[in-house]
Amino acid sequence: MKKEKNTKGRREFLKVTLGMFLSGALTSCDLSQLKNPRTMIKSPIRPNILRPPGAVPEEHFAQKCIRCGRCGEVCPYHSIKYFDVKEAGVFSGTPYINVMEKPCYLCMKCVYVCPTGSLVPCSKEDVRMGVAVINRQICVTWQQQKTGLMCKTCFDVCPFAGIAIKIDHDFRPYIIEENCTGCGICAYSCIADTWYENKGKKAITIMPIKWKKIKEVSLKSVKNS
Amino acid sequence: MARKSFWKRITIWRYLFLLACFIVIVGNPFTNYYWNINFIQGWFQSLGVGNLWVVSPLEGLESILTAKAFYMPSLIGMVVPVTLAFLMGRVFCSWMCPIEFLSFLTDKILGLIPKWGTKLKYRPDLIRLPKKLLWFALVTELMLTMIIGYPLFVWWSPPGLVGRETMFYVFYKHITVEIAVVVVVLLLNLPTRRFFCRYLCPLGATLALIGKWRQLVIRYDASKCVGCKVCDTRCPMGIKPSVGESQSVYCWNCAECVDACPTNALQFTWRDKGVIKVPSASMKEVKL
Repeated sequence: MKKEKNTKGRREFLKVTLGMFLSGALTSCDLSQLKNPRTMIKSPIRPNILRPPGAVPEEHFAQKCIRCGRCGEVCPYHSIKYFDVKEAGVFSGTPYINVMEKPCYLCMKCVYVCPTGSLVPCSKEDVRMGVAVINRQICVTWQQQKTGLMCKTCFDVCPFAGIAIKIDHDFRPYIIEENCTGCGICAYSCIADTWYENKGKKAITIMPIKWKKIKEVSLKSVKNS
Repeated sequence: MARKSFWKRITIWRYLFLLACFIVIVGNPFTNYYWNINFIQGWFQSLGVGNLWVVSPLEGLESILTAKAFYMPSLIGMVVPVTLAFLMGRVFCSWMCPIEFLSFLTDKILGLIPKWGTKLKYRPDLIRLPKKLLWFALVTELMLTMIIGYPLFVWWSPPGLVGRETMFYVFYKHITVEIAVVVVVLLLNLPTRRFFCRYLCPLGATLALIGKWRQLVIRYDASKCVGCKVCDTRCPMGIKPSVGESQSVYCWNCAECVDACPTNALQFTWRDKGVIKVPSASMKEVKL
């Protein structure tokens, strides 16, 4: 009698767990994209929305990050913000920097508190959050025939002025991609949006990149350094 | 026999400790934001106190499982909580977890209602599931994590969310939708006390698994027991200490039964004293 009761309980229980597992597995992934598991979940990183300095390549970032929020708490400029579940799904709680709201000033405090190696300690010069791209159709100095302005704000604010941004004989800025850290200070302070023809567009965008692309840095070599 | 005097009750210290931990977790974003004091950072997924790093075992494990790489500081951060669980079992859940703080606060507030107070405070369980569900919750969580390829518990862990939402509120002046997880977990407390902690919490399951051979256990002395069964009603985890279940894996050493017992038949003991035998349902017959 007692044994029978036990078996029944077990069956019920197995049903409940199996159901829970199956429904959970089915609802949590996009079935149309099951062909390639790598693309099942799309990263919310896009132009001007970047990972904090020292971040490992994006495909490893959300796997390593445990969303403890320590990088955001030590950031003295409060540049680091966090995705929530509505905009980023399983990337919820991972840090990002929106350079148009507040760029990164490369104080390098966050990399030393990360407990999981998502942000790897590195020096200022080695940071590769992205790369600045100048839109020459919008930049007021590049269009000086039309605007008659000579602005070199981006050159003045760049922490690596003369190394990452150079200006030619007409004060027209250009980016040395190998040296650009992607901190976004130039994009934040660009004044091209105030020129009436640009309709609020800034001339500089920070494009997110993989470290590899510029410096051939793999996850392995990042860990050893 | 009368109740124990106020300061001799272990639960008082537990409540004070829970309150202290809650204040640290909730107050820490304020100190970080308004005074830039970075002595303590983070919350229970990873807490940094000075140079000490604490990484929660399950979150650290998920990070290792999905990234398929070890990172030494993260492993070192897991040493403290794992050692604690080895020694004392699920004490994180009962003595530190902010969800437990909020749950006991709800229980205390329910207890203030006149007439119904005690009945509501120690309400019988309306939904009862097999306790083994805890282990399957852990396995399901780990499997889902590995199928999707991204750690899941790191962003929906209710104890972490309490700290995280406070931080979001202080830093960015808004609260995210994940707060719903905390609300649901607290609402599940109403039909069954600590429903989530009992059956669904993967972190609790990890700690219980580590603490299976813990040193600190509650000893049940059958010779002193008068069979009043007060302990059974008090236990928030739905364990019956009166039949010798006090040393089971599901016990989280919260000391509610120790304080409720009128004859001191239940007491904390270190296992190395050698008076403990393997717990079983037939504990009544076993002479201790």
